Amino acid sequence: MLTFSAISKTYYQPDGDIQVLRQADLHLPAGQTAALLGESGCGKSTLLHLAAGLDQPDSGQIMINDQCASDFNDGQWNHLRRETLSLVFQQYHLVPTLSVLDNLLLQARLADRLNPTLQQHLIDKLGLAPLLGRLPHQLSGGQQQRVAIGRVLMHQPRLILADEPTGNLDEATSHSVMELLTNLLKDTGSSLLMVTHSPAMASYMDRQWLLQAGRITPVLARDT
Amino acid sequence: MMWVFVTLISHYRRHPGQALTMGLGLISGVALWVAVQLINDHARSSYADADQLLGAEARYWIRSDNGLGIAVPDYIGLRRAGFDPLYPVIETQVRDAQGRSVAIIATDLLALPVGNGLGSSARYSNPFGASSWLALIQPDYQAWYPQSLATQLGIEAGQRLILASGERLPPALIQTQTQQGQRVFMDIAAAMAILGTDTFSYLGVGQLSEPEQLRLAALLPATLTLVTNHQALDLAQVTESLHTHLTALGLLSFAVGLFIVFNAVRFSLLARQGTLTTLREMGISLGMLSIAIIAESLLWSLFGTSLGLVMGYALSQLLLPAMATSLQSLYAAELGTLIGIRPTQVLLAFGLSLAGVVLALTLPLWLRARASIRRQRDTTAQWQLDQRGIRWMALVAMGLLGLAATLYPWLASIEQGFLILALVMFGGALLLPWLVLSLIEACARLLPKQQWLLRWAVSDALAQLPHLRIALMALLLTLTANIGVTTLVGSFRTALGDWLETRLAADIYVQVKSLDQEAIKRAPWLRGYSPRIGLDLRWQDRPTSIRGLDLNGPDTLGMVLAQDQGMPDQQVQDQALQAWRLGDGPVIPILANEQVRYLAHTPLGSMIELPTSAGLRRFEIIGYVHDYGNSSLAFYLPSETVMAHWPAAELLGAGLWLTEPSAQIDPDWLSNHLSALGIKPGQWVLQGEIKRISFAIFDRTFAITATLNTLTLLVAGLSLLTALLAVHQQRLPEYAHWRSMGVNFNQWLQIVALPLLLMLAVTLLLSLPLGFSLSWLLINKLNVIAFGWTMPLLWSWWPLAKLGILTLGIVLTTLTVSVVRVRQTLPTAIQQLAGDSG
Repeated sequence: MLTFSAISKTYYQPDGDIQVLRQADLHLPAGQTAALLGESGCGKSTLLHLAAGLDQPDSGQIMINDQCASDFNDGQWNHLRRETLSLVFQQYHLVPTLSVLDNLLLQARLADRLNPTLQQHLIDKLGLAPLLGRLPHQLSGGQQQRVAIGRVLMHQPRLILADEPTGNLDEATSHSVMELLTNLLKDTGSSLLMVTHSPAMASYMDRQWLLQAGRITPVLARDT
Repeated sequence: MMWVFVTLISHYRRHPGQALTMGLGLISGVALWVAVQLINDHARSSYADADQLLGAEARYWIRSDNGLGIAVPDYIGLRRAGFDPLYPVIETQVRDAQGRSVAIIATDLLALPVGNGLGSSARYSNPFGASSWLALIQPDYQAWYPQSLATQLGIEAGQRLILASGERLPPALIQTQTQQGQRVFMDIAAAMAILGTDTFSYLGVGQLSEPEQLRLAALLPATLTLVTNHQALDLAQVTESLHTHLTALGLLSFAVGLFIVFNAVRFSLLARQGTLTTLREMGISLGMLSIAIIAESLLWSLFGTSLGLVMGYALSQLLLPAMATSLQSLYAAELGTLIGIRPTQVLLAFGLSLAGVVLALTLPLWLRARASIRRQRDTTAQWQLDQRGIRWMALVAMGLLGLAATLYPWLASIEQGFLILALVMFGGALLLPWLVLSLIEACARLLPKQQWLLRWAVSDALAQLPHLRIALMALLLTLTANIGVTTLVGSFRTALGDWLETRLAADIYVQVKSLDQEAIKRAPWLRGYSPRIGLDLRWQDRPTSIRGLDLNGPDTLGMVLAQDQGMPDQQVQDQALQAWRLGDGPVIPILANEQVRYLAHTPLGSMIELPTSAGLRRFEIIGYVHDYGNSSLAFYLPSETVMAHWPAAELLGAGLWLTEPSAQIDPDWLSNHLSALGIKPGQWVLQGEIKRISFAIFDRTFAITATLNTLTLLVAGLSLLTALLAVHQQRLPEYAHWRSMGVNFNQWLQIVALPLLLMLAVTLLLSLPLGFSLSWLLINKLNVIAFGWTMPLLWSWWPLAKLGILTLGIVLTTLTVSVVRVRQTLPTAIQQLAGDSG
């Protein structure tokens, strides 16, 4: 689903260049989940940005869904994000003026991919039924993240890129959200690459990689 | 403390564009207000200077009853009798070698009272300061020209103007700061020699105690009269309305500027919300933060005021010529060509801009003080809070509009009129956000669920409204003012045109003191002739004209009375006009201009007493006529009646009707034929020319209004641009996330542009009834109170359409600029989307 081949990325700063990725490789098969671990500032988010087309590598090749995305222009990336990818952030990024239901359906509507059966299934599983008419600011952090996850899954993307999705939540809520996410991924068949520095959250994933000194090292590979 | 301030200020290093827009808002608001203020103050000080010209602040004049002037021995006799504060004046019109009329005024500078007059406490000074006045009174003498007159006559410094008599005026000195009017000023000895006269036009008299006044009056020869000088009062009175109008426009500009400041401060606080909250979280007290913010406001005020003053000064210099010409045309008031800025004006401008910034800061700071630190991070809760604020604003708006309605029946002065206007306009402005909010909520309820993008766009208006509402309110104010003034000007122009059509029925108007009437009647190329006679006097302590009309003149036969509310129907008025023509009986019917009705508060049917040669005589007002542009009161009677009661009435001129249309007549042929009748070039003017001049004066008078209106609209546009740029900058992370979900540019544009257009539509729609109310008040109330003129209110859709197109253009331009800015910055925002977590 997602392959990085010899990806390098350097940030040029006045007080010295920072090479965050050095010939980094990874391969995430379709339908699998993976966690990317590493210390703060090691380049985890950069790698995620490169995978989402939010930033460009200095060298190397990125393959997404068997397409070489390294040379994509802005329009092609936008199309890819609309059709194939979904992003989940620590900050939820719900549209504050839209109701929970409208937020939940937003990305699926954009991709013209509404599925009433999946909609009802996700609402039930995420426990959002009593909250559908509310506005985002009327929800707790955990509830908002559940809506954000529901929005991504409703879109049925081939690949989900998640950047510390539970970073704003307490431990109990984090576990509950991760259980939900991994269970629902089985229903949709999406792949997931999640950046985290929490081994506990990483344990929900099929694979675990460690990003260190610009290189990616596998630390766990579980057969699914 | 210092580092708190530095932390706050450092925001602008990263966002220079925000600093620029904030500065522009402040500067433009201050500049517009300062420009109007400078012009008004300058005009008023010019009147004061003009009053002091030749010691005209003197309370009395001594004039001759027989029109022969004042003999030198009479003047010397009065001086010898101990009346020092007396000075002689010659005021006359001459023609130069090219036939142009030149006004001359002359006095004896050494005779001007300087403060130690007999029993007088008045102080007088040389009106021209110390500027080389010795050269003025010594041979070869000097002739002082105002700059505009010198330009008009083509005279340069040192040149001598040659008169038609062959005499030459003394060498010219061009003055820039004096208010001698469009007149040449010179020493009286030089004037007497050049003009070949041995009498003075009149004597000026300084302040006298009552016994001195009585003694002087008793001492005067029988042919001389001591009269009170009303000149200063008259000029101040007649121009006050115009200045009140301008002040109101200036305050409107400032109010719009204030809205911009409010907006700018709000955005700068909003943009630094994170920093402010972080500082609070670090233990900085709200008090210390407030001090830092106020210190920043002081800096902004200093900056805005300094540059605003410079810009305002430049603008006032640009607007002054139009204003000066209008005042000269309408009131014969002269303005100097150099505007000076006084320290008080600088302090006032600084004080106002500071007050504006502090006022703008008060509400956000108060809200910040009320909100907990945790809530300050929650922007969504803030726009919810804003909606409550909008509902409170609507309540205040209702209160203001209710107050305006309550005060309306007592409306009797210009100031009250402007207060009601302000209440209506600001009431409307405060109501606007609530109307927009209600519309959004209604749309959100009514739109079908399938129209999700449209629903999203409508709901996005809720997020945009808190940021844009101030700019929309400023836009509403300017649109309302524009509609009101445009309708007023349009109605006035149409009324003036219609009035000129009926009033200027003759083909040619001549202005002469004597005419060979028999020769005129015999001229085969003339089919009609209507002489006008008259005199000027004072009635109700105001300058008043008595005019005698030829009953057989085509213009008198076609005379139309003013039709206004409270006037009898046409048939009754026709009967009244018939009675006026007969003009006999114990009480003589008289017609008056509308100014008598509205400025002198003399209703129809009033019995009035006018001073005639046989003493006070009673007249009954039986009708009014329109008399646009006249600042004096006027009464109209048949010529015979005027001659019977005022034998001293003079021929003022006549209207001539040609047998052929004037357009088909060769000007040279006409000039020759008129000369043959004793009417020289310069003494006659074609009807079309009068109309052209009238409209030129009219257009110049309202040019300054139109300019201020356009500038205010542009400032409101700038306010909107500032708001849009700020809102887009603040929402960039949100837009970046939309983009990361696959929202394409067209969808994004729909979501952000539709709410703006929706809000603009509500603003435009609300500006229509408000603008119409404004024009109704201006035409039917304020104009009548100020000038005594009535006119029908005429709606014209084309100027409104033009205004709508201009506004749409401004809004689309601001939208385009902000959209381009978003497109430039969005890629960076997308890169920053996930923060730097790893």
